[in-house]
Amino acid sequence: MKVKQVGDQREIEVAIAARDGATVHARIDGIDVIAQLEPLPDGGAILQIDGRRIRIAGARTRNSILVAAGPASFEFVPVEGRAGASRHGLAAPEVTAPMPGKILKLIVAEGDHVEHGQALAVLEAMKMETTLYAESAATVKKIRVSVGDMVDHGAVIIEFSPAPADPSKSESPAPDA
Amino acid sequence: MECRGHDAYGRLPQSVKPRTIKKLLVANRGEIALRIIRSARVLGIKTVAVYSEADAGAAHVAAADEARPIGPPDPGRSYLNIDAIIGAASAAGADAIHPGYGFLSERPEFASATDAHGMIFVGPPAAVMAALGDKVAARRIAIDAGVPVVPGLDTVDASDLATARGFAASAGFPVLVKAAAGGGGRGMRVVNEAAGLAAGLEAAAREAQAAFGDGRVFLEKYLARPRHIEIQLLGDHHGTVVALGERECSIQRRHQKLIEESPAPGLSSAMRTRIIEAALKLARAAGYRNAGTAEFLVDGDNFYFLEINARLQVEHPVTELRFGCDLVVEQLRIAAGERVTEPAAPRGAAIECRINAEDAAHDFRPAIGRVIKLGLPAGPGVRIDTHLGVGAEVSPYYDSLVAKLICYGADREQSRARMAAALGEFSLLGINNTAAFLRDVVASPAFARADLSTRFLEENFPHWTAAGADLTAALIAAALVAGGNLDSGRAGAGTAAANSTRNESDGVDGRTPWTELAGFELWGQR
Repeated sequence: MKVKQVGDQREIEVAIAARDGATVHARIDGIDVIAQLEPLPDGGAILQIDGRRIRIAGARTRNSILVAAGPASFEFVPVEGRAGASRHGLAAPEVTAPMPGKILKLIVAEGDHVEHGQALAVLEAMKMETTLYAESAATVKKIRVSVGDMVDHGAVIIEFSPAPADPSKSESPAPDA
Repeated sequence: MECRGHDAYGRLPQSVKPRTIKKLLVANRGEIALRIIRSARVLGIKTVAVYSEADAGAAHVAAADEARPIGPPDPGRSYLNIDAIIGAASAAGADAIHPGYGFLSERPEFASATDAHGMIFVGPPAAVMAALGDKVAARRIAIDAGVPVVPGLDTVDASDLATARGFAASAGFPVLVKAAAGGGGRGMRVVNEAAGLAAGLEAAAREAQAAFGDGRVFLEKYLARPRHIEIQLLGDHHGTVVALGERECSIQRRHQKLIEESPAPGLSSAMRTRIIEAALKLARAAGYRNAGTAEFLVDGDNFYFLEINARLQVEHPVTELRFGCDLVVEQLRIAAGERVTEPAAPRGAAIECRINAEDAAHDFRPAIGRVIKLGLPAGPGVRIDTHLGVGAEVSPYYDSLVAKLICYGADREQSRARMAAALGEFSLLGINNTAAFLRDVVASPAFARADLSTRFLEENFPHWTAAGADLTAALIAAALVAGGNLDSGRAGAGTAAANSTRNESDGVDGRTPWTELAGFELWGQR
């Protein structure tokens, strides 16, 4: 998979090529890395790389992968932009609040067809307005909030269903965010 | 938890329980609210926490003897709402209020309101606070007391360029334009040459007017590589003021302190004595009471008064470890009318690192989130003050400080080595934070040499990113997570139950884009 750190432009390709017991063969931007993985009972693990033992922990959120490696903390966002068959051309099945805040404006209505990059809603957080945009063409299936609602980080704001089939676009990759 | 591993800790000057404080309202949140509650409890004082809607599940709420809601998450309507807090204190039958730091701690009107409702304000009197809160007035107090201030011009009318030019010519460029009502680096401008003076004055005045509703500015000589050194003070109601040594706070980023230590490395005892005497003179001249800190800039053999912070400082634990005292206990004793006594001689060395919810690799932008997994350091000489626990949320409404790590050692090198090791043990999954950055700073040769100035980070760490091995490990971890082979939010018998209801990674109906979709993109612009 291809990832980048939130806030970074640099994309990094990383894959687990093989696992052989505790030995993990990873490939990072074309370079092979061999690491020893020792799971820990607390849900984390130790990774031994080049003789260094680094404690790791990781979890998914809706939009990213969070990782702690030693004291270092990372948020990775996958950047595979291709519209895979299993998601029917949707970049994600819903829009969630990127931070806690108040819904200031809903720009679309249920049943609307939206295009990639179209503004959907405006959220007020940290005294700033943040506009949420569509990342792919879709149909608004359900709006789960009303104007004035306070929403939590990760709360679902809008649910989508796939956009009506458009033969001219079905094979083309979705543009990257 | 207060002071693990420090055997000299726990000294209290032949004190008895305060006579008049039975119930204390803590008008704050986060680590400092928790820290104040702990000290009050040791003295047998009942505690009342206050909380906004965003903090209903916070650690300080659980720790207090009772807790009262004071309003919505927006601090202007909760933690800065004097009426709501005074109302909560009266309803709870509190007889004293501790403001902590930040929020209302330096608002004279809050101290007055507390007074007016017959409660004890744990801090200086409102009038003293008001005088010291104005930087120009504080400079005058210092000048009258014979304490050196940075060469400057007390007030400048932005249109009176001739006077400003005259000062700049005699002091030499660069000069610094500062807001009289300023704080936190706002309303501050460095002017490097005569041609930029008019624009600098106007910009600072405009910024000050917008930020503080007070456009008065003044001019100071700009010091190239100063050190920031401050003196801890305690004053009682009987006119006695004592000093508890100094703290070096030169490691700053945009005027925000990140690492503090005591003693100040390499400071001669003659210089230390001179600065402490100046601080005591100032505090006496101002009629100072309770805990406060006099801040100075040190430039070669000269030192200059900056300001007095009329409250407990974030970095106070550094002093506590060296002096074997509890400054919150001292504050409560003073507030109850007891006398301060000369402190015992300090020993050893202590360093504090502020771990913030910020992304150090990306211009320190604020991070938010929920704690999924937390590993805290321990060991001899290691103290950690934090309100974090699994499930705790860092919201966008408040300060980014999530933990203070304080290490004590027999000398600076021992405390530095303990700090580097302890930061290496710190592990927080769920919120981007500055622990790895701080570890690299503490482990650096420049910090080990104590080559300190307020420009330290600009000079030594202009563009920090995570080290190679950590990034490699993190990328492999991310691939393991994506493949379903690592999930620290779910696994772990001890934390599974605590996580089950609030963990974001569970998603709605256990369904996430990750399980359903082959690939995915981020929604919205971050």
